[in-house]
Amino acid sequence: MPARHSGLQALRIAYQPGDSFLHRLHPLTKAAWLVVGTLLVFLVRSPWAVAGAVVLLLAGFPAAGVRLGRLRGARLFVSTALLLGLLQVVFTREGPAWLTAGPLTVTAAGVEAGVYIAGRFLSVILLSYLFVLTTEPNDLAYALMRAGLPYRYGFALITALRLVPTFEQEGQIVYDAQRARGVRYDVRSPRRLLTLAQQFVLPLLVSALGKVDSLAVSMEGRCFGKHPTRTFLREVRATRLDAIALGVLVLAVAGSLAWLGAK
Amino acid sequence: MISVEGLSFRFRGSEAYALRDLSLRVAPGEFLVVTGPSGCGKSTLALAIGGYLFRQFDGEAEGRVSAGGIDVRNSPIYDTAEIVGLVQQNPEAQFCTLTVRDEVAFGLENRCLARDEIRNRMGWALGIVGAEHLQDRALATLSGGERQKVAIAAMMAAKPQVLIFDEPTSNLDPTATAEVFGVIEHIRERAGITVVVIEHKVDYLRRFRPRLVEMEEGRIVRDGAMPPAGGSGQAAEIGTTNGSGRVADVAAATAPLIRVEELDAGYQGIPVLRGLSLEVRPGELVSVMGDNGSGKTTFLHCLLGLRRPIRGRVEVAGRDTCQTPVSEMAREVGFVFQNPDHQLFADSVWKEATFAARNMGVLDAATEERVGQLLARSGLGDRRDDHPYRLSYGQKRRLNLISVLSYAPRLILLDEVLIGQDPANAAFLLGLLKEHAAAGGAVVMVNHAPDVTRRYASRLVFFDGGTIAVDAPVDQAFDRLRALGKDAYAG
Repeated sequence: MPARHSGLQALRIAYQPGDSFLHRLHPLTKAAWLVVGTLLVFLVRSPWAVAGAVVLLLAGFPAAGVRLGRLRGARLFVSTALLLGLLQVVFTREGPAWLTAGPLTVTAAGVEAGVYIAGRFLSVILLSYLFVLTTEPNDLAYALMRAGLPYRYGFALITALRLVPTFEQEGQIVYDAQRARGVRYDVRSPRRLLTLAQQFVLPLLVSALGKVDSLAVSMEGRCFGKHPTRTFLREVRATRLDAIALGVLVLAVAGSLAWLGAK
Repeated sequence: MISVEGLSFRFRGSEAYALRDLSLRVAPGEFLVVTGPSGCGKSTLALAIGGYLFRQFDGEAEGRVSAGGIDVRNSPIYDTAEIVGLVQQNPEAQFCTLTVRDEVAFGLENRCLARDEIRNRMGWALGIVGAEHLQDRALATLSGGERQKVAIAAMMAAKPQVLIFDEPTSNLDPTATAEVFGVIEHIRERAGITVVVIEHKVDYLRRFRPRLVEMEEGRIVRDGAMPPAGGSGQAAEIGTTNGSGRVADVAAATAPLIRVEELDAGYQGIPVLRGLSLEVRPGELVSVMGDNGSGKTTFLHCLLGLRRPIRGRVEVAGRDTCQTPVSEMAREVGFVFQNPDHQLFADSVWKEATFAARNMGVLDAATEERVGQLLARSGLGDRRDDHPYRLSYGQKRRLNLISVLSYAPRLILLDEVLIGQDPANAAFLLGLLKEHAAAGGAVVMVNHAPDVTRRYASRLVFFDGGTIAVDAPVDQAFDRLRALGKDAYAG
């Protein structure tokens, strides 16, 4: 059967296969960038450093082969950032005024606060986007297990990844089957809504329980859980690229700490 | 190799025993086929031999089961798993990972084997099922047959002494079915292990000259060499249960019920169906066949308006499916989907049987009487107040069809509804459909069973790559399929 995409799948921000240097980085290197990078933009309270980070991150999108303008939600987060920044500009009134127009006063402190708030928001969003767009979730799960995450949790994650598209598909089938039996999705009362929800969820639940049985047989039949640890066929593929990326991250942390110390 | 002695089992919450005092011995290297009507306990027997029945399911058990010298009832699954591998019905439901490589390695990694050993065994297992070329693929991109091959390789990698297949081809089209049975034969030749196949489609297995065990109501009722041909098997039984004879070809004078013109349809603007034109008249029982992915289901969806054409026109009962809401089209078009569980919405058999009629506002005394008769004929007369989910798989399927017949739509569409149905149940469903066509309705039925098509359909439409490759009365259509090299479909 050809791959079938439901509306939900089209909306989701998902991994986009590619071969850019961001794709080739070890998932954990990218995870380190995501976590440490987020901390840094909160620690370094310098609007211009944060603005620089935004510019660098924006450059990451073409590098990853993704067009920012075509991303779902791009317009929403850009306008949210602008709004957050503007609020700061309008409501901060410390220091000498740059511009006064009626009740509106723009001060240097206000602009700085605006750039910082908007920049911080954008950095975190862009960093997350880059991570999600270039990291195959399955690779991440395996990388986490190799790094010490107990494999039961790792496979819980993989099972979830595997079943989400299945449930979306089944949800579509149940919805179609309901319409084929003359069900109208017009919600007139809370009671009607409850009935509709019940009729939709029950078939999915029954099907899910059946799947759990099969999966349990399949996992135990292949000795899942026999030993406290397991081996992995996948090799760790940390490369020189990862060394460079982590080196840059360490430098950024050192620089930020030095800057904080100087203040 | 396998020894079952006096095994009885009753699932918790169930009154009937799934297995009754069953005994069976299988010698090393033997090829055993287990068949019988749905609900006869075949799958329960498979779960028992693998040990799962005693570990993962609640119920009362009696008797002894051993495999390869291990007391299966009292051993951890992990120990039994070294001897017995079980390949289940739906490859999808037994995958634990997302890629072919991870999937075949899964059981070996869990056994803490070293990387080199895993690599060797993976190469061997993929080789024996003929799937080396798939090893870098993601499971989601594989066809049904390819998935089942990978599932088999994943079990073979552990080098079991016994491999059990529980209806391994029930979700596959004839091309893939023939491939998977070829793999099973190959495994037997090259690996020399004991093979147990649980299967309705015993005809495919005849050439392997297996030992055939037939079960009924939890017992073995026959055990011996499989007869060469014409013995038991779906083809024969469907015929005998229902008599022969097809719906007569209908005079072309009546106005068509379905009129499809130059239809392109698909997903996200990418056509699956291309340039399809077709008319179906009242009285016809049309069988639609073709490989999975050839557009059969998309075609049915277009007839009810579940999917809108990219180009072209679909008219059913004089109404343009593009202009008519699905809930209104449904009044003329009944649709039975593949999985019975996806289409049970009410909390009692009676409410389920009348669910659609009630939604459409046509539930009157006459309808209730018809539903009552249908329930009685299908053996559900005394189950009216039971919850539909308490019914057996075959009973659920009958209820699905009754729920559609209840409000007498003119056209009935069925998407592979015979999957997992035993011959008697299939014959019952097909009998109802034949009546529907004879009474001036029409039926379009996607199926994978040449014997069913031959006995019941008036016409065969064969899909290939999103277009109609053959559209003719059944006998002629089979000749043409043979000429096209599609022997698996020609029965």
